[in-house]
Amino acid sequence: MSTPTQTETTNTEGLARVRDLWNDYLPYWFMAPMVLVMVSITFFPGAYDLYLSLIAEPTLNVFAAEFVGLENYRTAFTRGGAFHSFVITVTVVVSALLLESVLGFFLAAFVAGVESTRMKSFYRVLFILPMAVAPVSLATIGRLMLNTEIGIIPYVINTATPFTSPAFLSDLPLLTVILLDTWNWTPFMFIIFYAGLSSVPDTLVEASRVDGAPLWRRYVHVIIPYMKPVVFVAALIRLIDLFRTFGVVYGLTQGGPGTATQLVSINIYEQMFINNQVGVAAAIAVVYLVFVIAIANIVIAKVGFEGVWD
Amino acid sequence: MATQDVEPGSAQRLDKDTRETLVTVVRHAFLLSWSFVVLFPLYWLASMSLKPPGQANSLPPDWIFLPTVYNYIQLAQQSDFVGAFVNSLVMVGASVVLVLLIGVPAAYVLSRYDIPMERDVLVWILSSRMLPPIAVVLPFFIIFRELNLFDTRIGMVLMYISINLSLVVWVMKAFFDGIPETLEEAARVDGATQFQGFRKVILPAAKPGIFSVAIISFIFAWIELLFGLVLTSFEAVPVTLFVYSFIGSRSIEWSMLAAASTAMIIPVAIFLIAVNKYLAAGLSFGVVIKE
Repeated sequence: MSTPTQTETTNTEGLARVRDLWNDYLPYWFMAPMVLVMVSITFFPGAYDLYLSLIAEPTLNVFAAEFVGLENYRTAFTRGGAFHSFVITVTVVVSALLLESVLGFFLAAFVAGVESTRMKSFYRVLFILPMAVAPVSLATIGRLMLNTEIGIIPYVINTATPFTSPAFLSDLPLLTVILLDTWNWTPFMFIIFYAGLSSVPDTLVEASRVDGAPLWRRYVHVIIPYMKPVVFVAALIRLIDLFRTFGVVYGLTQGGPGTATQLVSINIYEQMFINNQVGVAAAIAVVYLVFVIAIANIVIAKVGFEGVWD
Repeated sequence: MATQDVEPGSAQRLDKDTRETLVTVVRHAFLLSWSFVVLFPLYWLASMSLKPPGQANSLPPDWIFLPTVYNYIQLAQQSDFVGAFVNSLVMVGASVVLVLLIGVPAAYVLSRYDIPMERDVLVWILSSRMLPPIAVVLPFFIIFRELNLFDTRIGMVLMYISINLSLVVWVMKAFFDGIPETLEEAARVDGATQFQGFRKVILPAAKPGIFSVAIISFIFAWIELLFGLVLTSFEAVPVTLFVYSFIGSRSIEWSMLAAASTAMIIPVAIFLIAVNKYLAAGLSFGVVIKE
C-alpha cells in the first residue's frame, strides 16, 4: 500500500464524515422529506385558503392585498349557496356511509359463512371489482344505463314492470348519486369487514354456539363487539373519503339539475372557475376544511384507534 | 310426561334445522343478487364497447351480437386518448415511486423510534387525507401558475403524492411494527449500519406491504379527476379528464365512451385482483393487518 496523497485523504475523510452524518442522523433524514411534503400539503393550503378568503382580489403580495374581513364568508352563505351545499353533502355522506356499512357487513358475514373455500374466494374477488371503476367511469355507466331514452334500466322498468320509470338523473339525482357511490364503494367496507370477521377467534364463536345462542344474537353480542375497532376504522376512512367525493357527481350531473346535487366540492369548484369568485370559493373551502377535520377528529377521539398506537 | 319432555326438544331441533336452511337460502339469494348487481353494469359497459356504434344503444338491446374491436381501434387512433392514457401511466407511476421513497423511510422511523407526540404526528399525517382535494387544489392552482407548473406532469405528480402519502406512512408503519426488531439487531451485531439493516433486512421483509400499498396508491391516483380538471388543460391531461371531456361533448359517441371507460377499468381490476390478499391491510390504513 502506498501512502495516500493529501487530496485522497481529505476525500476519504470527507466521505467518511458524510457517511457518519448520514448514519448518526438517520431518523432525521428519513423523516425530513415526509415532514416537508406534509407541511406543504396541509398547513400551506389551509393557511393560503384562509388568506384568500379574507382578501378581495387574489394577489401574491400580502402588502398589496385588500383585506375585507368576513365579507367573502357572508357572500358565500347568502348568495353562494354554501349552506345548501353543506346540507346536500351531509345527506350524501351519511346515507352512503350507512348503506355501504350495512351492505358491506351483510356481504362479509354471508361470504364468511359460505362453506366451499373456492366459492369464498370467488365472491371475494368478484365483490371488489366495482372499486376498479373510477368515479368518472362510473358516471359514464350511470349515464349509459339510466338515460331515459337509451338506458337499459328505465327500459326494463317500463317494459317488464307495471311502473313507469322515473327519470333518474333529473327527478332523483341525489338518490342516484348515493346509489352509484354505494355500488362503487361497498367493496371497501366488505373487504375490511371480511378481514375483521376472519380475525374473530374460532373459540369465541364456538363458545357462543355451544350456549345455543341464535345466529343473530351471536353477531350482536359476541362478533360485532369483538370487531368494533375494525368497524369504526373502516367507517372513519370511508367517512373521510366520502367528503372528498367529486368525480362521480361532476361526471353525472355537474351538480345539477339546478343545484340538486351541488356538493360543497362542486360549489367551491364553480365559485372558483365558473363565477371567478376566488374569495368566496376560498371562504367555503375554509369552512369545509374545518368542518371535515372537526368531524374526523371527533370520531377519532371516540374510536381511539385501538391497537394502532401504544 | 317423558314424551312431553322430548317433544319440545325435537320441535326446537326441527325449528333450528329449518332456520339453518333458511339462513343458507337467504345467504345464497343475497350473494347471487349482489353478484348480479356487481356484474351487470360492468358487463353492460364492456358489451357496449364491443358493439358497432350503430348497434350500441338500440332498444330492445341486442343481447346477441358479433363483438368487434372497432371502437378500441378508433380509440387507439385518437392521439388525445393515447396521450392521456400515457400521461396517466407516467404521472401516476412516478408519483407512486416518489411517495414510496418519501413515505416508507418515514414509516420506518415512526415504527422504530420514540417520537415525541407520536399520536399527534400520526393524526396530523392522516389529516392530509381529511383535507378535501378541492380545498387543497385552490392554492396550488394559483401557485402553480406563478411557478410555471400549471399543466405540467411534474405538478400533477406532486398532487398525486399528496393523495397517497398518509396512506403509505400509515400502512407501512403497521407493517414495520409487525416485523420483529430482533431481525435488524442481528444484522447490527454482524456489523451492519442502521441504514444497511433497513435496506437489506427490513425492506425485503416488508415487501408484501410495499407491493400492496404501491398498487392501492396507484389506484387512488389513477381514478382522480379533480386535479386534472383544475391543474391541466392540454399537456398533462390524465385519462380521467379525457373521459370526462368525452361525456361533456355535445353528441356523445356512446360506444367509444364505453371503450375508453373499459380501457381505464381493466388495468385497475387486474391490480386489485393481484393484491387481493393484502387489500384489507392497505385500505384500512394498516389497522387490519392480517386475515
